[in-house]
Amino acid sequence: MSSYLVRRLWQMVPILFGVSLGAFAFLQAVPGDPARLLAGPDATLQDVQLVRARLGLDRPLILRYVYFLRNALVGDFGRSFRSGEAVAAIVARHFGPTLLLSVASVVFATVTGLGVGLLQAVRRNTAPDYVSTVVSVAGISTPPFFLGLLLIYLLAVGLRWFPTGGMGTARSLVLPALTLGAGVAATIARFARSSLLEVLGEEFVRTARAKGLEERSVLLKHALRNALIPVVTMIGLQFGFLLSGAIVVETVFSWPGLGWLMVQSISFRDYPVLVAEILLFSLQFLVINLVVDLLYAGLDPRVAYG
Amino acid sequence: MKKSVSGLLVVGVALALLSIGPGQTPVRAQAKTATVALYADAVTLDPYDTNDNLSLSVERTVYDGLVGFTPDMKVKPQLATSWEASPDARVFTFHLRRGVKFHDGTAFSAEAVKINFDRVRDPGQKLRRYSLYEMIDSITVVDESTVRFTLRKPFGAMLYNFAHPAGRIISPAAIAKGGAFLARNPVGTGPFKFVSWAPGREIVLERNPEFWEAGQPRVDRIVFKFIPEDASRVAMLLSGEAQFAFPVTGVQADAVAKTPDVSLDARWSIYAYYVALHTQRGPFRNMAVRQALNYAIDKNAIVKVVLRGYGRALDAPMAPGVANYTQVQAGGWPYDVVKAKALLSEAGFPNGFPTVLWLGNATETQRLGEAIQQMLAQVGVKVELQPMEAGTLSAVRFKPIEDNLSQANLAGWSPSTGDADWALRPLLGGGTWPPTLFNLAFYKNAKVDELLADALGTADETRRAKDYAEASRIVWGEAPWIFLYNSQNLAGVRAGTTGVYALGDGTVDVREATLTGK
Repeated sequence: MSSYLVRRLWQMVPILFGVSLGAFAFLQAVPGDPARLLAGPDATLQDVQLVRARLGLDRPLILRYVYFLRNALVGDFGRSFRSGEAVAAIVARHFGPTLLLSVASVVFATVTGLGVGLLQAVRRNTAPDYVSTVVSVAGISTPPFFLGLLLIYLLAVGLRWFPTGGMGTARSLVLPALTLGAGVAATIARFARSSLLEVLGEEFVRTARAKGLEERSVLLKHALRNALIPVVTMIGLQFGFLLSGAIVVETVFSWPGLGWLMVQSISFRDYPVLVAEILLFSLQFLVINLVVDLLYAGLDPRVAYG
Repeated sequence: MKKSVSGLLVVGVALALLSIGPGQTPVRAQAKTATVALYADAVTLDPYDTNDNLSLSVERTVYDGLVGFTPDMKVKPQLATSWEASPDARVFTFHLRRGVKFHDGTAFSAEAVKINFDRVRDPGQKLRRYSLYEMIDSITVVDESTVRFTLRKPFGAMLYNFAHPAGRIISPAAIAKGGAFLARNPVGTGPFKFVSWAPGREIVLERNPEFWEAGQPRVDRIVFKFIPEDASRVAMLLSGEAQFAFPVTGVQADAVAKTPDVSLDARWSIYAYYVALHTQRGPFRNMAVRQALNYAIDKNAIVKVVLRGYGRALDAPMAPGVANYTQVQAGGWPYDVVKAKALLSEAGFPNGFPTVLWLGNATETQRLGEAIQQMLAQVGVKVELQPMEAGTLSAVRFKPIEDNLSQANLAGWSPSTGDADWALRPLLGGGTWPPTLFNLAFYKNAKVDELLADALGTADETRRAKDYAEASRIVWGEAPWIFLYNSQNLAGVRAGTTGVYALGDGTVDVREATLTGK
């Protein structure tokens, strides 16, 4: 088990190295001159060249990458072109809000999604199933941008129950988490329903019922546990996407997370911040995939790692 | 196994909750806080390293300049009570306010002024506003409250460069701590002191009880909130979480105007919008073609449809709010399709020609592009719209002429000094073709260059105004641009809030914020 973990962790190193190289090369290929963007359209060429020298962009690309690697290995990801702050500090500051929002959304989505999926599977082809199916399809198809603004105008401007945006008290978390979680909840519900229905048709369920187990126990202990494996994979994947910063929701709710930072950094061609963000997102996916694989072992005794 | 995973989650949530904790200290109930919702975060709070309107807006609240701008962009005294310029516009002498203190308790003096401008004009500092002050040759402290600037060459627009919001006076003690410190910790003499900056969220300022102007400031706290999404920003105003929101887009203007307790504040900007035509290449080399295009565009329809009425046709190559502006043609180039077609036929394009228009990708910009496309189609000019993301657009536009593939460029410009020199020279001067500056039309006219140089060589405002009027007339007739419009800045204000407004250059001034009632 632990040797498996160590092996998996080691495998991440070459992947992250490749990602850093790819990110570096890719950003250079994107049109846009950070020095001109930072200096502004009304800066003279002289001002632009001063800025370029300050950013170190007057050095050759290879040299810049070598410097980057050398510093990154000791945890120094350079300084933001835009603000001059240490990149590690900037990314760390925006990671907290995104993690908080992602966890809140996933918790909300998992609880709602599993609950609805369970209900749908049990009451298959009845009114509650049809109604909640329509609602979850609507949930998947509603653009978060629209849902977010709808919630803001109904619950924040109209009823004034929640702030319109920004990150402050716990109340400020509710609307963005709902908006972000709605689509995920609907997806989980659809997945849970079909997965449960499949499992409920299997022989071991019939056996469990035949030996006189209560329906409740059959459902929760036997069926649900087996139905969860694809659902957990899906939740893990969704969590990974959420952790990369929900650009639209973070923008609508002025939530200072990684998605917000990404948009800002792209518009300024803030290469150091962008490279660090891309690396972080890759790392997050690698870690989540690992956690999901380990969760399988917990859910399914047949799965073991050595 | 399962335990350790849930443990990890708990730690994560706890960490995230911790990060949400601080910065939420409740304000005294009776303290008056003006909350101002703006569209982006500040970049830096070092004025000499600033070129974005958001940072300038915050800096203006913490700092004073020698001189500043009134709401309609006229130069007014701040730390200097009076000034003189030599007739050749080379020596500028400022008489300073006495008894003024920086927020760190140190005294403001002529020496402090010298330290500030010596810093920015040192190329080794690599500051973004170097060019605004690099023409300063020497700075003399005449006495404690008199400072004299001598320029390397005459520069008639210098007073406007001093009034530029980048030209603020920082405490020398803070300057001694270095650029990285200044970027995050502004120490000035202005009506509000810096308290905190949570990047991406807010900047908090509190009143400076020792501010030099009697009766100011009138509120205890200013909170700048950064709300990039237009609809969310307006929602914040409507829900009462903010007293002032800027900008409000044309689409939202009616909703804001109709809401009780909220009003729409429309003020003339100094932005001029135009289509720059590449005058050195293709059909646009021909002046008659460029004039035809000016006749073919119905500016009033554009103002009505795209701007919802919050604008007016340009009647000169700059907005009327710019210092030393002179009207060239009342109402702008007349809309006359017949004349446009006749001119195109004369020029050898009876059936028009295809061309490409580069523009930004904002919704309103694209709508403007579509309007232009439709109108030009009426005279046979088939416009292909190429909207681009800001960084890409900037990259292709700033290429030198031999690599520059542009034909027509939809652009807007606000001269940050508020003066005609910076409205004309960077856009139409012969020495400002890309990559040097923003002359996207690659326009060059010896007479115009001569007039621009003459105006810079004198401190005589009458002579300057005459030069710029003459230059404007030449440019207008030769039509290197399709002259479009001058827009209004739209802001939303809650009832009981006064003294907060958007200036013509798109920065916000909250120095005299006043809250009455609730």
